[in-house]
Amino acid sequence: MTDIQQTVYVVEDDEAVRDSLELLLKSDEKIVKTYENAAVFLKDYSEDMAGCIVLDIRMPGMDGMELQKKLNDKHSILPIIFVTGHGDVPMAVDAMKEGAVDFIQKPYREEALLEKIEAALAQDLEQRKTLDEKQEIIRRIKSLTPREHEIMDRMIEGQANKVIAIELEISQRTVEIHRSRVMHKMGTHSLAHLVRMVLSVKNLIDAP
Amino acid sequence: MTEVVSENSEVTVLLVDDNPQNLKVLYETLKDQDYRLLIANEGEKALDLARRHQPEVVLLDIMMPEMDGYEVCERLKADPEAADCAVVFLSALDDLQAKVKGFALGGADYISKPFQSQEVIARVKTHARVIRLERELQARNRELQGDQARILNSISEGIYGLDENGTIEFANPAAAIIMRSPVEDLIGRNFFETHFATASECPDGLPVQATCRLGVAENQRDIRMLRADETGFPAEYRSTPKHESDELHGAVVVFRDITTELESEHALEEARELVQEQRHQLAHTSRLTTMGEMAAGVAHEVNQPLTAIANYARVSKRMMSVESPNLNLLQETLDKIEAQSHRASEIIRRIRRFMKKPATGKEVLSVSALLEDTRQFAEVDARNNDGAIELVVPEDLPDILADPIQVQQVALNLIRNALEATRAAETAQPVEVSARVVSEGCVRVEVRDHGVGLTEDAEEKLFLPFYTTKDEGMGIGLPTCRSLIQAQGGDIGFERPEDGGARFFFTLPVANAPSCSPSDETPSGVV
Repeated sequence: MTDIQQTVYVVEDDEAVRDSLELLLKSDEKIVKTYENAAVFLKDYSEDMAGCIVLDIRMPGMDGMELQKKLNDKHSILPIIFVTGHGDVPMAVDAMKEGAVDFIQKPYREEALLEKIEAALAQDLEQRKTLDEKQEIIRRIKSLTPREHEIMDRMIEGQANKVIAIELEISQRTVEIHRSRVMHKMGTHSLAHLVRMVLSVKNLIDAP
Repeated sequence: MTEVVSENSEVTVLLVDDNPQNLKVLYETLKDQDYRLLIANEGEKALDLARRHQPEVVLLDIMMPEMDGYEVCERLKADPEAADCAVVFLSALDDLQAKVKGFALGGADYISKPFQSQEVIARVKTHARVIRLERELQARNRELQGDQARILNSISEGIYGLDENGTIEFANPAAAIIMRSPVEDLIGRNFFETHFATASECPDGLPVQATCRLGVAENQRDIRMLRADETGFPAEYRSTPKHESDELHGAVVVFRDITTELESEHALEEARELVQEQRHQLAHTSRLTTMGEMAAGVAHEVNQPLTAIANYARVSKRMMSVESPNLNLLQETLDKIEAQSHRASEIIRRIRRFMKKPATGKEVLSVSALLEDTRQFAEVDARNNDGAIELVVPEDLPDILADPIQVQQVALNLIRNALEATRAAETAQPVEVSARVVSEGCVRVEVRDHGVGLTEDAEEKLFLPFYTTKDEGMGIGLPTCRSLIQAQGGDIGFERPEDGGARFFFTLPVANAPSCSPSDETPSGVV
């Protein structure tokens, strides 16, 4: 996890604001990348991006809210801090409902902005870690043979070995062998842990 | 009147002689001549008849007891009722003295006794005709004079006839009414001394003086005249020299009291000023409304440089906190702070200028500078509306003469409407603002959008007050624009482009051209 390099992506149409914010964040030892409008950022976007977005809500062309929707469509998990002007609170509320982590009103105090950026980066890190774990679980699930997968499903449902053997018309011994392989491949010794692992990625594997 | 029905009809002849025999002869002589004959045998009776019947001809015997013919003649001529008759003396006296005396007393002719009937008939006929014509002439004269008098009396303007010294010789009733003094009291007074307090101080510079003395016609307005009671009033007068056979004989002065007229002019002027004031007020209110609508955009616009300044300042502080600061970088950052503070103050300057009241008045303006300034201003809005503004102004465009704030107000209003229409149509095509010279010293500014356009119904009512197509509109924007542009000597209108959207335009006079008539190129939509 430590090898992930987090970047603060600044999307801001005003050149002076963009330039000053870049300098400010760099002086705080952040890695900064700036974009002069939403379209340029969207073109540059990839799933590998880590960090957070500082996004001006009002911009000519595609505005901040539209960019947020487009990123949501791409399943982006980059946290967004919206920068709003006076009187944009209703917009900010909508943005929050769409999953933005926070918003800050212009003109802002640097401390407040940096605090929010730190929080966003931490959230990104956390999300990314969870996501990595889930991807590991999915990788393990995918290494199971169809028979092993079937037996795992029944184990999670709480069926005893005897019941599984009767229903699948195989010997109880065979069930035990499959079961131990499942536990080995999934890297656990506890049925309770297995249940929790599989449930945590249920929504991800049902709709691959 | 001029037509004589029968030469002798209605002609009255009075025969005066103390001798009944003579009277009889005279009567016999004239009775077939179709005259009305009157007879008197003594002076008093003759005078009485003459007064009552106004005879054309009196045949008068000189030698009479009591009152002789001379006295009768004298008294007849002294009596205005009978004075115009022709007195023909009849007498045996045939000396020159007697004839001369008769003529001296007003006699018209002389017949010696004994007379020939033919002579009497001929002389009476001649004199009757002369008197008859004279009377007709006088009647005509009286009629003409009556007409003139009626005209002079019915005129509401005061009329004075002055002699060359300014003495009032004639005054009509209106003059008496204006001067609050009977006509009789006015006549004989000196015009200058009576009606001008300064008469003694400047005898040469008074109104009408030049007309009286030099024969120069005058026409002046708002001159203070005095009445006999020394109250004053503002007057307008015309004075015309009076010439009689090429010689200057004073002046005729036609004058009137213009107090009421001046009062209504004053009231009109006040009303005009009030309208002007209200127009300015409305224009200002409209600017305030615009600014109110643009408040969010303006706040955003001011916040940008403030945010940048705060950021740069913090960066600078951080640069200085290290052991050996990079002074070049610091200098650069401070320069950026300075530039951003200018940017903020420029935005505020523009707003303050726009809000200023009242408008500053006409100036010689560069159209491109004004439109560029307006474009930047409108971009505050463009940002809100996601629209773009494209400005096309040729470099050699001449300067215009107009009030910068009011022109900017109109341009801003049209651009904002265009942006709104563009947004409503969800099109990305920019609003095009262009300017060019059109005929007759006019610059024409156009604001073209590719937005939703206007219904025909809306097109007709566009510039009517309180008509609006917007949910939150008040319908004062375009009417205000129109009154502002017209006050600058220009015109404003709408055209429907063939490929949709809307085109509004206004014209303004080039700096050295007096005004701007609607251009020939725009036959439709000019309002």
